[in-house]
Amino acid sequence: MNLIREIWQSIVRRDPLSTDKGKSELVFLNVWLHIHPAKVKKENLRFKYTFYLGFITFFLFVILLTTGIALMCYYRPFPPQAYQDMKDLEFVVYMGPFLRAMHRWAAHGMVVCVFLHMCRVFYTASYKKPRQFNWVVGVLLLLLTLGLSFTGYLLPWDQLAYWAITVGTNIGSYAPIIGGQVREILLGGHTVGEAALLRFYVLHVAILPSALILLTIVHFWRIRKDGGLSRPTWKLKPNQPEALVTIGAPAQVEPLRTVAASKDKTYGLMEVVTGKPIFETIEADEEEDAVFSYPYAFFREAIALMVTVTGIMAISLFFHAPLEQLANPAKTPNPAKAPWYFLGLQELVSHSALLGGVVAPALMVLALLAIPYFDRNPSRRPTDRKWAIWLFTIFVVVNLVLIVIGTFFRGPGWAFVPPWVHVVAGAE
Amino acid sequence: MNRRAFLGWGAAGFVALCSGVAVSLAAVVRYLVPSVFYEPPQSFKIGDPADFPFGPPTFLPDEKIFVFRDREKGFAVASAVCTHLGCTVAYFQSDQRFHCPCHGSVFGPNGTVQHGPAPRALNWFEITQARDGQLLVDKDKVVPPSYRLMV
Ligand code: HEM
Ligand code: FES
Repeated sequence: MNLIREIWQSIVRRDPLSTDKGKSELVFLNVWLHIHPAKVKKENLRFKYTFYLGFITFFLFVILLTTGIALMCYYRPFPPQAYQDMKDLEFVVYMGPFLRAMHRWAAHGMVVCVFLHMCRVFYTASYKKPRQFNWVVGVLLLLLTLGLSFTGYLLPWDQLAYWAITVGTNIGSYAPIIGGQVREILLGGHTVGEAALLRFYVLHVAILPSALILLTIVHFWRIRKDGGLSRPTWKLKPNQPEALVTIGAPAQVEPLRTVAASKDKTYGLMEVVTGKPIFETIEADEEEDAVFSYPYAFFREAIALMVTVTGIMAISLFFHAPLEQLANPAKTPNPAKAPWYFLGLQELVSHSALLGGVVAPALMVLALLAIPYFDRNPSRRPTDRKWAIWLFTIFVVVNLVLIVIGTFFRGPGWAFVPPWVHVVAGAE
Repeated sequence: MNRRAFLGWGAAGFVALCSGVAVSLAAVVRYLVPSVFYEPPQSFKIGDPADFPFGPPTFLPDEKIFVFRDREKGFAVASAVCTHLGCTVAYFQSDQRFHCPCHGSVFGPNGTVQHGPAPRALNWFEITQARDGQLLVDKDKVVPPSYRLMV
């Protein structure tokens, strides 16, 4: 008995969790948990502030990694075997359809959640100082998520895959000057073929996931270094009296600057240098609205994890991932549609390939990246930022409307067909 | 080493480092551009003239071309690849036009855009008769729609 206790102690090396010291040590002696602070703000645990969307996105990504690695055991990235392997997964492999469905629905879910997460970050104005850069990291994560979905779309090598990628990569070739070359490098050829499938596979299972993992680490690290999650500062009781903090000053030297202490918490070089931390500090009297991460934050995150996993599993039990006929370069299905999250783009492209396919998306990405530097209004209070909220809402609504039109209102020949009108498939 | 020499060598080293990085990046990009394409040849034989009927064009799915044969005017070959985003167009005998299923582009009998987002007319390719009498199409040679081969 004593030996078992000794072994356990040698692993965890912390005081019992009934003590405050033990609760702190659980977090900062553990390499996986120490991305959390030992204590978190109560407001940050509130479901209605974050909806835990960032966590859900992350957990969906974990599901994608595990199911993806499982699928790799049966998948060969060259035509037509790729398609046969899909059929095998559907009909022969034990639990194959379930794994495929989980991977597919988690991928769709991740696109949805990453977008909603971005919206919540915008509406809570959490991209403002000092979190500007983490917003930029976030936009890159959004692009990587879309890139992963897009490259994954080709892998089944069915009609849907083939034509979505043909159309999608041709959009890129409208980019001035480099468009054609970029497409050639991406496809490893002039048409979607063997070389393209292999390259998309490499992007999908190696390059993009690694990039996403690296950036996610940066994203999480920056949340800590930016002082934890943002809070609705205007709702907090005012600091009595406005405390002053010195910046960049070793003990006895003149301070560089003296500023009012903020209510946001930030970690600086507390233990390495004397003097106050670099950015913002926490007031002692604020400690009362913080609680230990264990169990309060961990418990909630564990719930989010379980809801995400069981949700995806439940959906995958009832809905299968679609698989169409083998890719046939000679016959374009009518209508040929890109993945749904690109249907807004395809709708624009159906009006003008250059404006809709290159200029508009490029401007959108640039605008997203520029938001934290362009929006100079320091307030996070919704009533102070009516303009920002209106503009962003218009952006969101326009995107949604375009996607809905592309998904539900476009029939054969991209003609406008409301979903309640029945069109005989293949009628020409 | 004096200050001047130090700065000189330092600058030279920095320039060398930057060029090294630039050359490596260029090499990576070049590596990704295939030197050999294992794709079907652009110039190929499609069979004897007698294989092709008069009237509606023959669609060759692998080559993505339409072969037209007219009693008076002879042979002509049109591309079936939509100039918008590369979907395969279909030829409707009913209205003698090409229809693209993807975004609704419509091309007239001689390939010009009549409707939809396509930016250019469909391509017409050179068709000749090889020594053995077979028809030879070269997709690298784009010809005006009036081009005809009489056999
Ligand atoms: C793979 C994609 C992403 C993952 C896994 C991820 C994950 C997270 C997590 C776990 C949090 C903690 C709070 C929460 O759950 O809301 C967070 C916060 C944050 N995220 Fe993301 N995120 C992603 C994409 C994005 C995107 C697209 C943006 C914006 C363009 C963004 C900007 C931010 C910012 C600024 C914060 C700090 C919010 C605050 O302080 O309140 N992230 N992210
Ligand atoms: S690809 Fe033909 S209309 Fe878009």
